[in-house]
Amino acid sequence: MNVPAKKRFGPLLLIAPAALLIGVFLVLPYLNIVLMSFRMPGQGTPYGPGFTFGNYGKFFSDFFYISQVINTLWIGFLTTFICLVLGYPVAWQLARGASAFRAVGYALVLSPLLVGIVIRSYGWTILLGNNGMINRTLIGFGLIDRPLGLMYNSLGIVIALVHVFLPFMILPLMSALQGIDPSIEAAARSLGAGRITAFRRIVLPLAMPGIQAGCILVFVLSLSAYVTPSLIGGLRVKTMAVSVVDALIDTFQWPFGSAMALMLSLTGAIMVMLFARLTRMKWKAN
Amino acid sequence: MIGFFPGSGSSIGKWYFMTEVSIEKLTKDYGQGPAVNSISIRIAEGEFISLLGPSGCGKTTTLKMIAGFEDATEGAIRFDGRDVVHVPVEKRDIGMVFQNYALFPHMTVEKNLAFGLEMRKTPKDEIRTRIARVLDMVQLTGYSERYPRQLSGGQQQRVALARALVIEPKILLLDEPLANLDAKLREEMRVFIRDLQRRVGITTVYVTHDQAEAMTMSDRVVVMFGGRIAQIGTPSDIYERPANLEVAEFVGQVNIVRGKVGNRIVSTAFGDIPVSGDHAAGTELMLALRPEAVELLPVSSGADGVPAKVLSSYYSGSLVDYRLELAGGATVSVQTFPRTRFADGDQVLVHAPADRFWPLGSAA
Repeated sequence: MNVPAKKRFGPLLLIAPAALLIGVFLVLPYLNIVLMSFRMPGQGTPYGPGFTFGNYGKFFSDFFYISQVINTLWIGFLTTFICLVLGYPVAWQLARGASAFRAVGYALVLSPLLVGIVIRSYGWTILLGNNGMINRTLIGFGLIDRPLGLMYNSLGIVIALVHVFLPFMILPLMSALQGIDPSIEAAARSLGAGRITAFRRIVLPLAMPGIQAGCILVFVLSLSAYVTPSLIGGLRVKTMAVSVVDALIDTFQWPFGSAMALMLSLTGAIMVMLFARLTRMKWKAN
Repeated sequence: MIGFFPGSGSSIGKWYFMTEVSIEKLTKDYGQGPAVNSISIRIAEGEFISLLGPSGCGKTTTLKMIAGFEDATEGAIRFDGRDVVHVPVEKRDIGMVFQNYALFPHMTVEKNLAFGLEMRKTPKDEIRTRIARVLDMVQLTGYSERYPRQLSGGQQQRVALARALVIEPKILLLDEPLANLDAKLREEMRVFIRDLQRRVGITTVYVTHDQAEAMTMSDRVVVMFGGRIAQIGTPSDIYERPANLEVAEFVGQVNIVRGKVGNRIVSTAFGDIPVSGDHAAGTELMLALRPEAVELLPVSSGADGVPAKVLSSYYSGSLVDYRLELAGGATVSVQTFPRTRFADGDQVLVHAPADRFWPLGSAA
């Protein structure tokens, strides 16, 4: 076959910029982390000479780390679920509500993103702390006599993460709901479906791509969140992301930190795949 | 009360629940004055009725109230005597066809058609036979596994129609169903829908702003302006005997001829036209004259007619439209068959039979 060189290399040239970008910024760093996770721990250095499976061994042999993974996943699930439940009505109003509300509502949903995540998380410590506004108000009204444990636990982290990531649930949901013609729902009603049936059989399946996108975004962001869990969880509750940073920076264990980071990525990826599979099946069954 | 489909007890072509719909003093007020203002319509069993009017006249709001998507502010809607104003949409037993088809995009044609029957808990095998029948009725046999996006606009509209009919509703409601189709298909669908409606004999309310659609399809037309009914009548009533100037101008083209009222006559540029009814002598009266009611003759014919000059002409194949200037300076539109053609600037005689003038009321 006599294909001119130009024709053969043309397509390759076209994808080269994208390939380069992905290669340099995603693949290489990832490979470096994978490599790092097999290195020997060092004494006074980030890592020592030679390679080992020991980092993974340490991770799996200590229930402390496994339970940390479970707790991180649990925080991710809860945050995602609460964001979905809270975000759906807002997204619906933004998609279908009166136009006057829509402009204001859209601005309100986006406004938290304009404030830095550190400031927002710090704001929550002021509200949630033992001497914080919520506890003081409740004590002041005589509703409780000892402060509720709102901080330094998973509950506080979930509360703050929901606030931080809610826009990431609302925006994809909103765009999915906007794509559903209101007369489609009206048609279902005219055919004898009540509001709930019309929602379940028609609106929900059509909104599913948006629900999927929003859930995956929030879940992944929750798993990898660092600032909020470290500020709210303090020393008492640590998510995986916090532990990874501890290992890398505080205790200077790069190989073990890398192994933990990879385990976090892996469990997150498995969860996302399971979720995508589950929701897709639900959609087809309709 | 007999069913159209097998399994509901019938083998003949007609269904079925012929429902009489009665709308009484129906009003809808969104808070800025009534959008629909105390309208009353009696729709006979099996009748095809159109709500015709410009956008914002209240026709769609009326349809939505009949369907149950809008609450009536006041008044009653009766299906066979029973007031349904407080019955929710899903319990009203209506079949509705929407302007943009509103098919469920994530379901096949078959699933779309089955939806309403599943809501009614119809047994599976009956659902299957009914779907087969209705697909045959709308000439889409073999399309049951397609998704809406795989169908043309006209096919989607037929699926929408089938989906509304397969549940054997009491009444069929159509909201500008042909507005999104191209001109040729629109004309085909007019005939298709009308034939289908005649065959099944279902009481039908059709909303449109297209007067040709309303005229060709309906038993009766309800013309609405500003939330009120301007006129209810057969298509020929509406066209030949319009209730007022607004109706005359909305439905087709019309010449408004003004004249002074004398003793049972009106003096116009076309001569004295006899009129019946009470019109105070000396007042000015408006008469409607349809362009096709007028005859154009060559001056050489020496016939009885008003002299006029051709200003312009528009040939459209089957017809020619002329703009003419009468001797007195008034302009008049005339539509004729292109058998005899006149050129711009030609002198002609305009003959308008006295019985083709229709009084519209006093000129303001």
